[in-house]
Amino acid sequence: MFTPELFAQALIAGVVIGVIYALMALGITFIYSIVKMINWSMGEFYMIGSYAQYLIVVYLLGPNMWWLAAVLSALSVFLIGWLVEPVLIKPMFTGGIERKDDYATVVTIALLLLLRNLATAISGPYQRTPGTTLGAVMLGPLPESGARFAAFLCALAAIALFYVLLRLSWLGLALRAASQSRVGAQTSGVDVLALDKIAFGIGVGLAGLAGALLAPVFMVYPTNGVVTTTKGFEIIVIGGLGSIPGALIAGVLLGIAESLGSTFIASAYQNAYGFLLLLAVLALRPSGLFGERVRQA
Amino acid sequence: MRSLKFAAGFGALIAAVGLAAHPTQAQEPITVGLIVPLSPPGDPTAGQLIRRGAELAVDYYNGKGGLLGGRKLQLSVQDSQGRPEGGVAAYRRVVGEDKAVGVTGFFHSSVNIAANEVAKTMGVPTIGTQTSAADITAKHYDIAFRTHLIDPLRVVAWLSFMQGKGFKRVSLVAETSDYGVGLITETEKQVKDKKLPIELQSMTFDRTSTDLTPQLLQVKAFKPDLLVNIGVGAPMDLMIEQAATLGITPSTPMLVSYDAPIRPQFWQLHPNTGDKLYFIAYYSPKQKLSELGAWFTKAYEEKYKESPVYSSLNGFGDVAILAQAIEQAASTDPKAIINTLETGKFAFWSSGDVTFPKSEGVFWHNFSPPVLILQFQKPNQDWKEADVALESGK
Repeated sequence: MFTPELFAQALIAGVVIGVIYALMALGITFIYSIVKMINWSMGEFYMIGSYAQYLIVVYLLGPNMWWLAAVLSALSVFLIGWLVEPVLIKPMFTGGIERKDDYATVVTIALLLLLRNLATAISGPYQRTPGTTLGAVMLGPLPESGARFAAFLCALAAIALFYVLLRLSWLGLALRAASQSRVGAQTSGVDVLALDKIAFGIGVGLAGLAGALLAPVFMVYPTNGVVTTTKGFEIIVIGGLGSIPGALIAGVLLGIAESLGSTFIASAYQNAYGFLLLLAVLALRPSGLFGERVRQA
Repeated sequence: MRSLKFAAGFGALIAAVGLAAHPTQAQEPITVGLIVPLSPPGDPTAGQLIRRGAELAVDYYNGKGGLLGGRKLQLSVQDSQGRPEGGVAAYRRVVGEDKAVGVTGFFHSSVNIAANEVAKTMGVPTIGTQTSAADITAKHYDIAFRTHLIDPLRVVAWLSFMQGKGFKRVSLVAETSDYGVGLITETEKQVKDKKLPIELQSMTFDRTSTDLTPQLLQVKAFKPDLLVNIGVGAPMDLMIEQAATLGITPSTPMLVSYDAPIRPQFWQLHPNTGDKLYFIAYYSPKQKLSELGAWFTKAYEEKYKESPVYSSLNGFGDVAILAQAIEQAASTDPKAIINTLETGKFAFWSSGDVTFPKSEGVFWHNFSPPVLILQFQKPNQDWKEADVALESGK
């Protein structure tokens, strides 16, 4: 049943959820571009961010200071990433490991299982929520929950801030150099091993921020990162591995495809529309919308 | 000669050590398989609650000295994740590797249905703890038993409720599982067969969906008198919140298709949106507990500092039924247990015995609890004080 109002509502809903997914994808693609590995445990850092948000809001700051709690949650996850990287990831570059991709896969999946089971053992059977005091808002013709809209705005702000950091700061310059050529950057005097720590921390921090912002929307439980991780990986394939603008645009496209498909075709196949988009993009541009072909020795 | 004596003595010593190291058949524990959802897309809260009940049943029987002359009862717990393939793998593991003599704990119908297809071959009986799809017992498999409400009866109850309230337009929004699709199909069938004056809008969603806005926008456009929420776990909670955000509820009432609102965390998750919600429940606060049920309630409250809910009660009851069947059969042979389940009577948490007659149709090997539809009257209300909008048989 097509009406212009229904179309507008579905479109807006798709854009909102797409930007939120893009924040998750950004973390994955950023880590890949610097450290040259896929972190399969991103969903678990998202989950840690959501638990941190719950604990800080419920036991320390209260629901009105959700924004400060989100910043603190993201920083805590950044710190965890900062501490984990030298133990698990650094050996890829200093330990004489030959098959780096296999090592990264095994190690990050092991981390995924550890964190997920630890959370299940500690948190018990119940889902939780930090709650929200934000009321519903009207986005044009679409009523949207205040928490979801706040997550959308904060995700946009985080993506914008991240882009500015990369473009206008010395750290950003070093990170971009390392993403283009680790050897070249190292030759220029950049400590790439230190950069790896920062990049890993920032990448998982972005996932933690997504988890914190979405805690009142998707709730807090040990496996709440699974679906957003899947969407994140879909997005980086559509947008192109290592491309930050690609992650944002692909996220929005994915959200719109799922929303319009569910509304006007069949709601049961919501996730399938995203995969159809993925297949279409790969058929036309195998490296993704903004990905680049690389040659590796 | 001396060397022969030495060899015989040494052999006897080895045999004695071997016997001491491995328990005899008489001392071997008896394993019951518990297949529950412990992670999404299943409902992990339900899985954990069922597990609590099952563990207390094991404590009860071990505290009484075990079964069959002192053999300890133990659980083999497996996570089905609410997926059929997870249930199949779990069943094969508990029966093939852990030698379970009975398997229970099932919460998701699709998992129970899939596991029963394997159980049909492997021969170890299953008891559905909180699975309601008709196919679980309608196929008349020898191994299939259930102590829960069947979906056709759930649909009878809610259609009766809709007629009583005068609802003419009803939206059903269901997850794409055997449970969700089965309830939509059964509702449409009963409306058609009974020629009820109810216009239905039915739609489904993937259980991993993180946004039900597309479905709920269509519901809003339909302007129903009632929205039936046939999600399980996180999607059910998401629908409650998003329906309120889109302005569908509270002006349009919502009926939740199972008893999630009785769980302790419900009001923490929905402090502003849970008021006036209708939901299905499977036992009445006025219902009498058996001696077994009273023991369980006391033990549960001591351990968990909260009252047990239906999932835990049934988890306890099903392991207790298997334990009684083993004792009555005086055997751990699955065929003997199945025969005893079909012919025996078993104490349960509610008063009155449980039997599993070979009845016609979906009532084969089934014990059904009553169906109630309750409605919260105010925020943070204890479910035991909710209004009873409908009680089956009354």
